[in-house]
Amino acid sequence: MKIDKKEKAVVIIGTGPGGATVAYELTKRGIPVVSLEAGPRIMKEEYKNDEWPAFSQMAWLDKRTMSGNARIVKDFNGLPSWLVKAVGGTATHWAGATPRFLDYEWKTKSTYGNVKGASLLDWPIDGKTMKPYYVKAENAIGSTHRGGRPPLPANNNYKVFAEGAKRNGYKFYATGPYGTNAAPYDGRPASIQDGFNFQGDKSGAKWNPNVREIPRALKTGKLDLRPNSQAVQLTHDSKGKVDGVLYIDTKTKALHRQEAKVVCVAGNSIETPRLFLMSASSMFPNGLANSSDQVGRNYMRHLTGSVYATFDKPVNFYRGETMAGFFADEVKNNPKRGFVGGYYLETLALGPSFMGAFLEPGGWGKDFADMMDAYQNMAGMWIVGEDMPQPNNRITLGSSKDQFGLPAPNVHFDDHPNDTAMREHAYKVGEKIYKSVGAVQTWRTTPYPHTHNLGSMRMSSKKKDGVVNKWGRCHDIKNLFVSDGSVMTTGAACNPTLTIVALAIRQGEYLASQLKKGNI
Amino acid sequence: MTITRRNLLLGAASAIAYTQLSTLQTKADIKIASKAGDQQMVASMCRALYPHKRFAENIYMDVAAGAIKKGNADTGSKIMFRVGLDGLQAKKFDKLSFKKQTKYLKSIEGSPFFNLVRGHTTVALYDHKQVWKILGYEGDSFSKGGYKKGQYDDLDWLPNPRIEEHPDLAAFLNDSSPTKYASSKIIKTN
Ligand SMILES: Cc1cc2nc3c(=O)[nH]c(=O)nc-3n(C[C@H](O)[C@H](O)[C@H](O)COP(=O)(O)OP(=O)(O)OC[C@H]3O[C@@H](n4cnc5c(N)ncnc54)[C@H](O)[C@@H]3O)c2cc1C
Repeated sequence: MKIDKKEKAVVIIGTGPGGATVAYELTKRGIPVVSLEAGPRIMKEEYKNDEWPAFSQMAWLDKRTMSGNARIVKDFNGLPSWLVKAVGGTATHWAGATPRFLDYEWKTKSTYGNVKGASLLDWPIDGKTMKPYYVKAENAIGSTHRGGRPPLPANNNYKVFAEGAKRNGYKFYATGPYGTNAAPYDGRPASIQDGFNFQGDKSGAKWNPNVREIPRALKTGKLDLRPNSQAVQLTHDSKGKVDGVLYIDTKTKALHRQEAKVVCVAGNSIETPRLFLMSASSMFPNGLANSSDQVGRNYMRHLTGSVYATFDKPVNFYRGETMAGFFADEVKNNPKRGFVGGYYLETLALGPSFMGAFLEPGGWGKDFADMMDAYQNMAGMWIVGEDMPQPNNRITLGSSKDQFGLPAPNVHFDDHPNDTAMREHAYKVGEKIYKSVGAVQTWRTTPYPHTHNLGSMRMSSKKKDGVVNKWGRCHDIKNLFVSDGSVMTTGAACNPTLTIVALAIRQGEYLASQLKKGNI
Repeated sequence: MTITRRNLLLGAASAIAYTQLSTLQTKADIKIASKAGDQQMVASMCRALYPHKRFAENIYMDVAAGAIKKGNADTGSKIMFRVGLDGLQAKKFDKLSFKKQTKYLKSIEGSPFFNLVRGHTTVALYDHKQVWKILGYEGDSFSKGGYKKGQYDDLDWLPNPRIEEHPDLAAFLNDSSPTKYASSKIIKTN
């Protein structure tokens, strides 16, 4: 469907799990939507089974800078995050782990108490509210181990991981929940175990919005999908309501304007606050919806790290579904370990190309080469845990410019002592797991460019504490919504996408009902 | 970059290299590391950085060629690369023992020349298709239909694990009395 630029439309910015889900929820209820996506639409046939070419095919490589004490600031200053600029968003490159928040993770302030330096806050919604939406999100994604869907089989990397966990007396390991089909589901085939997830899945077994929400929304006839259209400013009327979106055609560099009655922003946790800040006006000199000064603050990236180990026999860990191995024994909050919150361990494999670049950024020498030399005998796991929100971990407009002459975002990130303590604990557990099954050499790998980007547009019950309310609607501006992971008040230990989709389904329902009632 | 004695020295050396280079400026398009043996010298540095007995010389030579190309990218890089290469030559780096090579590399670690060669090598070496073969990595698999049962799970030195969730998992995750853990609010940070 073609929507006129002069028509006051519902405009959604971004087509990742957040934006595409809201677009589908609205269009399937008959509400026309304009979807602006900064990147191109790339179909699965064009994805590449080759790490660097796949990365450069669609990673977000626009200018960004970093500051802070986290090691990534030094290692990957221009690349704070691994995000995708294409229809389907970063989920085009995602692995597929789909755990839920634990009930108390919606209320970390009440549960953990005051943690020095951390801006913990309870969400304005809870596990009970979210439960039905989690079920819908799992069915949309097709999570294994849920809704009667079968588990994926064990691959080599999982065999090492699970047996190591077992030998240490742990028991909560499994091959999921995971967003790739073990058996055909929802019109998509079963996994062919080709081992390429982070490059985009050529088989279509893996969920991402470009294989489900986008084509289905297009089929309703109500979606005007505009790829290569990067929003650069939100405009507002004299009453302070948003009334349009300025966007660049990234191919021609021409500037366009779409009139809007409602805008949902889902550009992920760096671009969303950046757009709000770039939309400053005489009425809102600090950026839109920013009376609380919370836009861009409390940015989180999850507590991460990896442990790799080599053995004296082959593993071939790059074969099969990359992250179909899940360990939950250390996820529960237990401050006796020396930190609050908890973490999961998940299997992870990289090809030699990425392993060379990421095993030890800046690393060289014999130990490093020995690790790489035993690549065939290598197993790997990823640590993902709750990190502490901190007000100064923050997205701001920096002094450098992007290719359009717009202020590039700066990402400031300091590790909180709780993050450091948790990472140390997780490294030890990871090493124990691998040593118990005969590891020859183990390696503690520092965080990669952030794949989980959360929290910079925090959801809060009180206006002064955040940017959006429990529906993801801006406290300050009634017809402006945020629909991505940036609304996360706190991040919990789990991978975020299932929750982003669940929140977006809920927001889509709400927004549709408000539009139908004429409340917006 | 923080100013250390070494950087200052490198800075001084660059100045000298620059004057040498500018006297040569009349000849069009100077290329550094174009003499016989230069590529071998850089290759010996690549190997010392990432020593793999199983990797043939041509692999390190390919990687060195890429590093030299980056060294020729612009005047600044040319000057920087020349100084670095001079350093290797002065030490007869390719003739040193691995231990002495490592010692020398440690002494220049962090210099722009070191950063260029190391940064390039860690990417180019492990992205080299011959290296993939030696390491046992199979690359593209979609075109071959992915991996079948008996391939993605061919590891036979450990028992086959459970793939379903443990029956107690839901109870463990849903245990909704987290406050029982919250009595202690002290964070130890080591
Ligand atoms: C390698 C990798 C593995 C991952 N594995 C997992 C996993 O196993 N489990 C999990 O839960 N999560 C995983 N993730 C994270 C997951 O991909 C993200 O949580 C998810 O995609 C976020 O959805 P989103 O809609 O908020 O943002 P995104 O998916 O990032 O989508 C944002 C979209 O908005 C577009 N955009 C941005 N700014 C603008 C603008 N100004 N105008 C127009 N368009 C704009 C972008 O181009 C992008 O397409 C992984 C990520 C990576 C990189």
